[in-house]
Amino acid sequence: MINKAFQFLLQIGLMLIAMMVSQSAFAFEDDEGCLLCHKYPKMGRITEDGARRSYYVMPHVFEKTVHRNVPCKDCHSYIDQLPHKEVKTGVTCNSECHSVKNPATGKNFSHKSIYDKYMQSSHGRDKVTNGHDQDKPYCVTCHTNPIYNPAELDGPPEKVTQRCVVCHEDEKFVANWYKHTSRRIKEVKRSPKEVMELCSSCHGDKRLIERHMQAAEKEGRELGVKYPYAAESYEQSFHGKVTRYGFTGAASCLDCHADNDNYYMNVHDIKPSRNPDSPVNEQNVVKTCQRCHTYADDNYTKLDPHPTPMSHPEDNLFRYYANVIYGWVGDVVILLLVGLAAFETFGRRRDGAGWRLRKGSSWWRRSKRGRDRKI
Amino acid sequence: MKLSEEARKVVEQSMHLNAVDDVQREEIEKVIESMPDDRVLLYKNVVSNPIGDLQRYSIHIRIQHMLTFVTFLTLAFTGLPIAFFDHFWAEPLNTLVGGVDVSRIIHRTLAGIMIFSMIYHVWYLFWIAIRDIMLQRFELQRSIIPTLKDIRDFKDDMLYFSGQRKQRPMMDKFMYKQKIHYFAASFGNLVMVLSGSSFLFPEFWAAILPSGSVSYFQEMMRLSHPHEALLALLVIAFWHWFNVHLAPGRFPMQWTFLTGKITREHQIEEHFLEYLRNLVELPEERAYLQNMLDARELSSEEGGDDMQTNEGSA
Repeated sequence: MINKAFQFLLQIGLMLIAMMVSQSAFAFEDDEGCLLCHKYPKMGRITEDGARRSYYVMPHVFEKTVHRNVPCKDCHSYIDQLPHKEVKTGVTCNSECHSVKNPATGKNFSHKSIYDKYMQSSHGRDKVTNGHDQDKPYCVTCHTNPIYNPAELDGPPEKVTQRCVVCHEDEKFVANWYKHTSRRIKEVKRSPKEVMELCSSCHGDKRLIERHMQAAEKEGRELGVKYPYAAESYEQSFHGKVTRYGFTGAASCLDCHADNDNYYMNVHDIKPSRNPDSPVNEQNVVKTCQRCHTYADDNYTKLDPHPTPMSHPEDNLFRYYANVIYGWVGDVVILLLVGLAAFETFGRRRDGAGWRLRKGSSWWRRSKRGRDRKI
Repeated sequence: MKLSEEARKVVEQSMHLNAVDDVQREEIEKVIESMPDDRVLLYKNVVSNPIGDLQRYSIHIRIQHMLTFVTFLTLAFTGLPIAFFDHFWAEPLNTLVGGVDVSRIIHRTLAGIMIFSMIYHVWYLFWIAIRDIMLQRFELQRSIIPTLKDIRDFKDDMLYFSGQRKQRPMMDKFMYKQKIHYFAASFGNLVMVLSGSSFLFPEFWAAILPSGSVSYFQEMMRLSHPHEALLALLVIAFWHWFNVHLAPGRFPMQWTFLTGKITREHQIEEHFLEYLRNLVELPEERAYLQNMLDARELSSEEGGDDMQTNEGSA
């Protein structure tokens, strides 16, 4: 055991040393020469409004990301000279890659289909925008440039790839394919708990919600009834209570608020409940409940999946006051019973009941009132 | 000791039910006669075995109690961290019971066992009640069923604690506290089963209830389950355990829940009517008490007349 652990530590150590040493040797192509400048860790500036921006590209990290084969200019298409001019908009995620083809269609690869879906959802916004749209999530709010399975940093297992290289010859090609497919076969969805945390990062932000409620009121827009406390009330529900502990069998936000035919597409297409296409719209909600609760009927949809939190009594006064009364009844009962026990203990002291056990009795035989002569 | 009318009735009925002969009757009358009017003298002078002297609970009742309290506590510890998730102790307690994936299975399984113990209990009580009724041996006042006497006992006990009575009332096998606790626990149990079922089978309740009441019902159940659980746990921890194990006279613990036996001094203090039955039923208890009274020269005169008048007014 110890030997194995030591070997493991040694491997990790060697790997770290190898990573440090190989920092300057780039595994991906830099034909465009971007790293001439962006390889320097101090590369950055302080903006007019005082924000510190780093423009450092960590080559040893980037080479392990899904975008490592995409030339910089495919996304940063506005760069047409070096050194380049100030960047105004930056990368948007709907541009076409000119260097990477979609092997299924032969067209230039692009995230456009999912981008368009997202744009028509209630979260859709342009990358550069102003006003309240700024609070909506853009692609990078939820998606970073993902790193491959950390367990596979060393490269694919040989016992698998040895077979591949027999026909495909090129080891690099095989390694890339292996990474590509293995990452997608593995569960890459966010867990329900992560979904809850992700959605709550905006929908649980009181100031953000307040801003949007004021804006909606001004513009005469309608908001969902649970909008002001969506995250808070979900936490109060049984779904929320078990999901927060990592249970994966209960509904998270997406299980009700997104359609369920294609997860990856639908999570980008969340619509407000007033939209007749929304799964939580009145017309669709029975079906949505039935995804898990097979026998759900019209009555069932009257059960509140977002129970009123104590901070918003107006949502359901019945629940609020029932809760308050329950609390009071509990306190009063405990106080009365503990009071009774104290009163009793005090009362029984008079005749000498004590906290002891001696000679088969816990009574102080020599107590008041002359009852104890015979002993 | 001159028995009150009520106590006299209990003794007469017990003698009748146990078909005592004239010799025994004389013995019983003698030992009752020689008991001092001041019962405090009795329980201060008898010797008690802490493990218990007099039979009180049958093995069935002890098994039912054991099943109920083991399941109750484990149900509470697996359920509370889910209901009260926003408290500091919730996360560590949840981890301690194995996380939700494990504790939900434990919770449901134990709920099943708890329901079984309820059914076992009710079935057992019905069985012995029907048996006793058939044999014409059933005594209502000896059972857990509340009677008007309990209200009187409660009042008298409060007056004793506040110093306005010289003795505690003569209470039966189950005193008022036990009856309150028993029915509170039964009610609580039913509430927990009902509300728990509304979490496990929400579709069922939604299907059978009228549409106007579904939401109110579910909200009440959602509130009842954790509130009732917490209340029950606090009542158990701060009242039940105090009364049975920590109160003076019971400290450091009562063995009744294991041995089924109650100590002599406790029986005399809080269940005197039951002790009178013990005197009728158990010749050896009569002999013990008679010996003790003779050896220590405790006789009924010593209590004085004020004890009598006190009883009369009670």
